[in-house]
Amino acid sequence: MKQETMPRFILRISLTLLLITSVMAAALAITNYVTKPRIEQHTQAKILEAVETVLPGGGAEIPFSDATGLVDKVYASDTGYAVQVQPNGFDGAITMMVGIDKTGKVLGISVISHTETAGLGAVAAADTSAGSQFRQQFVGAVGSVAVFKDGGQIDAITGATITSRGICDGVNAALTCVAGLS
Amino acid sequence: MNFKKQLKEGLLTKNPVTVQLLGMCSTLAITTNLFNGLGMGLSVTLILICSNVMISALRKVIPSQIRIAAYIVIIASFVTVVDLCLQAFLPALSDSLGVFIPLIVVNCMILGRAEAFAAKNGVLASAADGLCQGMGYTVALVAMCIIRELLGAGTFGGGLLNNGEGFRIIPAQYPAMQLLMPVGGFLTLGFVIAGSQWLIKRIEKRKGGAKV
Repeated sequence: MKQETMPRFILRISLTLLLITSVMAAALAITNYVTKPRIEQHTQAKILEAVETVLPGGGAEIPFSDATGLVDKVYASDTGYAVQVQPNGFDGAITMMVGIDKTGKVLGISVISHTETAGLGAVAAADTSAGSQFRQQFVGAVGSVAVFKDGGQIDAITGATITSRGICDGVNAALTCVAGLS
Repeated sequence: MNFKKQLKEGLLTKNPVTVQLLGMCSTLAITTNLFNGLGMGLSVTLILICSNVMISALRKVIPSQIRIAAYIVIIASFVTVVDLCLQAFLPALSDSLGVFIPLIVVNCMILGRAEAFAAKNGVLASAADGLCQGMGYTVALVAMCIIRELLGAGTFGGGLLNNGEGFRIIPAQYPAMQLLMPVGGFLTLGFVIAGSQWLIKRIEKRKGGAKV
């Protein structure tokens, strides 16, 4: 085989890699173009569903100020607010919606997405009796909430105190945010 | 290379999960119900076939000095394509597999097959290898899912059959939830490996007996 000079060799491997990455990037661009609208639609539908769950009738997005850094969005209607918060759970952020009425009372909570442990923390979001029992505890809460262990009134999910604390953080952030609104 | 031998290797004697012990992270994490196992298995199979075919087709073009970089780019692109498609068309599966779909990029099973097989063999044989290894992975995953779901949640076919509820086989108060935890994953994996070894030995013995 003929000896290849160093500069030529470097040029050859660089161009090969450039070619491969370009082709793959094009494939990704096409996939993204096709799937993006559908993915956005799914995300939007999920958020709307969560708003509807905690604030019957839904609401429109309004501007807000937030000192906790956990609030993503606030939706308002004549009856109250739905606050999208993102507290930290046991394993990454929990995205959830908290419904609060005009008097500052929690109407309900709904978990949109999370990465908590299956069977433990995931119960907080599950469509099971244990899950809805846990979420039901927040209904009617005013001021702030905390789990038993921290001197509060919320019965934490068995084996998932950190997740339960995260949910409490989210509800508290939403309550603080709404208190600042009115 | 013939397909029958590849199939036997993929499913049993060189099964990626029970013999090569590759891709353990996702295997242990997602095998909690049938839907997850099937979804993960089929996604990996699809990606494995695509990346094997592409790497095999390019095996004479890719200089060996940069092969790993080239393989990773190819694998990562296919994984992202599958990830986006799942998010768009099967959001339920995408939600329950979560981060483990993007993590297929670093599933050593795929890079392993690229390096060990696709880089040295023709396109058709590599596609067959992807299919067989992927099926081996899927079968092992589904076996683990069935065991863990039955003993851990008391159901069969969760996330897929009976409107996603699965069929309840053991009453709700009896199942041991630990089986769905990491510890249950390790225990089940051990038993599945033992089972497959027993099967391999049995087949070998029968073959040996036939000769004598």
